Amino acid sequence: MPVDESNRSAKIAGRGVSIAYGSRRIVEDLDLVVPERRFTALVGPNGSGKSTILRTFAGLMRATGGSILLDGRSIATLGAREMARRVGVLLQGPVAPEGLTVRDLVQQGRYPHRSLFGRWSEADQAACEEAMMLTGTTTLADTPLDTLSGGQRQRAWIAMTLAQQSEVLLLDEPTTFLDLAHQIELMNLITVLVRDHRKTVVAVLHDLNQAARYAEHVVLLKDGRIAAAGHPSDVISQDTIADVFGVRSMVIRDPVAGTPLCVPL
Amino acid sequence: MTRCLLVLVIILAGLVIASLALGDVALSRQDLWETLTGSHDRTSRNAMIVFDLRLPRVLLAALVGAALATAGTITLAIMRNPLAEPGVLGINSGAAVAVMAVIVLLQDPPALLPPVAGFAGAAAMAAAVFLLSWRGGTSSLRIILTGIGLGSLAGAATTFLSAFGDIGDVQRAMIWLAGSVYDASLAKVRFLFLWLVIPLALAWMASRELDLIRFGDDTAKSFGQPVDRTRGLMIVLCTLISGAAVAAAGLIGFVGLVAPHVAGRLVGPSHARILPVAALCGAILVVAADLLGRLVIAPVQIPAGIVTGLIGAPFFASLLWKRRHARG
Amino acid sequence: MIRPYGMNTARRMANDGGRPLGLLLLFCLLVAAVLWSLASGARHIPLATVWHAVVGFDGSREHLLVMLIRLPRVLAAVLAGSALAVSGVIMQVVTNNPLASPGLLGINAGAAFAVVLVMTLFGTGTGDVYMWYAFGGAGAAALLVHGMGSFGPSGHSTIGLVIAGAIVATFLTALTSAILIFDQNTLDAVRLWTAGSVTGRTMAQNAAVAPYILTGLAAGLFLGRHLVTLSLGAEAARSLGQNQAVWRSVSIAVVILLAGSAVSLAGPIGFVGLVVPHIVRLTIGADYRWVLPFSAVGGALLVVVADLAGRMIFGSQDFPVGVTTALIGAPFFLWLARSRAGGGS
Repeated sequence: MPVDESNRSAKIAGRGVSIAYGSRRIVEDLDLVVPERRFTALVGPNGSGKSTILRTFAGLMRATGGSILLDGRSIATLGAREMARRVGVLLQGPVAPEGLTVRDLVQQGRYPHRSLFGRWSEADQAACEEAMMLTGTTTLADTPLDTLSGGQRQRAWIAMTLAQQSEVLLLDEPTTFLDLAHQIELMNLITVLVRDHRKTVVAVLHDLNQAARYAEHVVLLKDGRIAAAGHPSDVISQDTIADVFGVRSMVIRDPVAGTPLCVPL
Repeated sequence: MTRCLLVLVIILAGLVIASLALGDVALSRQDLWETLTGSHDRTSRNAMIVFDLRLPRVLLAALVGAALATAGTITLAIMRNPLAEPGVLGINSGAAVAVMAVIVLLQDPPALLPPVAGFAGAAAMAAAVFLLSWRGGTSSLRIILTGIGLGSLAGAATTFLSAFGDIGDVQRAMIWLAGSVYDASLAKVRFLFLWLVIPLALAWMASRELDLIRFGDDTAKSFGQPVDRTRGLMIVLCTLISGAAVAAAGLIGFVGLVAPHVAGRLVGPSHARILPVAALCGAILVVAADLLGRLVIAPVQIPAGIVTGLIGAPFFASLLWKRRHARG
Repeated sequence: MIRPYGMNTARRMANDGGRPLGLLLLFCLLVAAVLWSLASGARHIPLATVWHAVVGFDGSREHLLVMLIRLPRVLAAVLAGSALAVSGVIMQVVTNNPLASPGLLGINAGAAFAVVLVMTLFGTGTGDVYMWYAFGGAGAAALLVHGMGSFGPSGHSTIGLVIAGAIVATFLTALTSAILIFDQNTLDAVRLWTAGSVTGRTMAQNAAVAPYILTGLAAGLFLGRHLVTLSLGAEAARSLGQNQAVWRSVSIAVVILLAGSAVSLAGPIGFVGLVVPHIVRLTIGADYRWVLPFSAVGGALLVVVADLAGRMIFGSQDFPVGVTTALIGAPFFLWLARSRAGGGS
């Protein structure tokens, strides 16, 4: 049942955003709306600018043109800490210093909430415990990160981002390195975060069907432009897939969830 | 952590006592005790040896070691390169060229000039490295490369001076630069202590910032850290700390490189713990090096900076290797 | 840590296909510099005479000057420069650390220590005998570092090699300083050598190390493809089926051959091995199949020009080439680092 997204206010909105690496232009004049308390998936072929857009929305890269509004206010006017309290980011392939335990890592997530000389508070502790509980890393708390499997490590990083307790979560390909069971677990976790914890989640996903199944709002990107955006069942069709990925396919109804399912021909 | 600190403090205390007691004139335990507690006349020969010669020297060694180790820890965190030590910021090469120039060109400079020149050279070099690598922001790679470039220019100037200067002056400069605490005095110790206390405290209070910046610029930024400002402030602290250590004792290498690695392996990755442990390790290393340098081929004294290389290097090699074995 | 700045520039260069042309141009520059170096000096010798001296040596004063003084000197500069630059490239890839250079293997420290030790024990003599001690010292130190790096519990880890190198180099440097601080005669005799110099090299000395350097250069160029894979990092290299331990050992053997020979010929010049690889990567990108030949030619060019500049500008026959390479190369390198490295908004 398609939801009319226009009723929902925009949590983050890019208006006429342009992004460039040096003289190479990645994105030009992009208008992108992230609906509040929804799971938005950015999908597109390699090099379509997904990660770049996510990084720019996180304030890690400066847009060369246009503006990015968080609750209607330009993120350029927000301080770094303020921004980090409201928007959490998990980048691809993050690297942790040697010897860190999961708990050490998750506690870093409290950085934006602590003043320069502020002590570790009960709220900090509670946020970390909750983050580890939600990601199932509580039992790993004292394990060094370097000894974990790829999937466990990824969950620890997600816990770190959750400990930040931001209203918005931006995740860059969070399912990479995860096996099927953990991918599903992560998607369910995102669903819970959006439904029960009132979060707005934006994730770059490379699996179109995963996006269709779990996301409520899908943005298809091609060459730094939006090819289509909206509810999965409105957006995912043979035509858009051919346009964006250059793949001939058939779109059928997922027999379990009723969402669109793309089967390449 | 507490146990580790305690053990290190006991080792340091033992070394300090040994440094006070041993030397050309060895003091018995009782002599030393009586001298320290003041039951002897303060003008006695023992009192003079302990208070005027050995105490300033051992205190200076401990301070310099702690300073170098702290500066090394900061550099390691902000550069995220296992080879990073304050020398990467040009501090050593700047001090070396300034001291070499002062000694070789002025022939017989006043005693105060080499240390002042050393500090000035170190600070000027660090500032130049930071400013030249600033381009709308910092990047650790650009700082490292700029440090290499400016460092090799300064190194070329040092080499030039040492290849063509008067051989006696060159040797004197080399001894100065080799790093030693020969000419310690209580006044010098007091000055260095007052100079270091604020930067060292600030570094420790900023340990959370160091914890985060080690994750890399992007991750640190995404948690709201003003990375460029943090790195700049840390470089200033580092320059104040290690520049002063170099001015007081010349170039004692290796301490800044190895103390943070050792501390990290002893107490884990949190800088609130690494910093004090590294400082203690650095103090132990320099005090031990000075003691050995005085004793092994007495009456000839080997500069502490050379002993840290000769004994510190193999010792820490074995320590790091064993530790890694233990970790599996 | 090395990769980030390579990629964009690589793309830039690959698009216009300028690399073969650039390499040719650089090589022509090297030939011109060599010729200029042969012709100029206290006494100018026309190029025609230089040519005749090489092809039809007649024993005249000018021919003697060319064959006995200038040609050996410029050859030493070419050999040492290319060997140091190529070994620097290999070191930076193997350790994946932009601060690495052949010196990190203990090559410079080992050579300096061996030379200083021999001078102290047996008195100072002519430069000829020291070559072999330098080579031996360099090789021994490098093998020690490699051994410590590989037999550490983490196996062939990069960090093990880096720390082992720092430890060995520190130890040997400390020994050297300990000797020099107490022995003024040796300090006086060795200080020009430690600055790095190609003054007074003979044809025999060149001939002695040339086979090693040429073998090393050939092996280094052959390594290019494997270095590309090594530079991708441990996991990628393993997944591509590269036996890392083997290729890392081979790479280090090549570095020992090259840098050991170069140091025994021209003294411990640190700058070339550290900076030329960066200059090349910043200019043409990080494809090691091209970085290696560019570095070989560029390193030779830098040392030849530096030697020439030392003679022309400072008017001194024994101005240490180690100083002039840095004076000429460092400003250029700083400009490159500032304008191209590490992003920044």
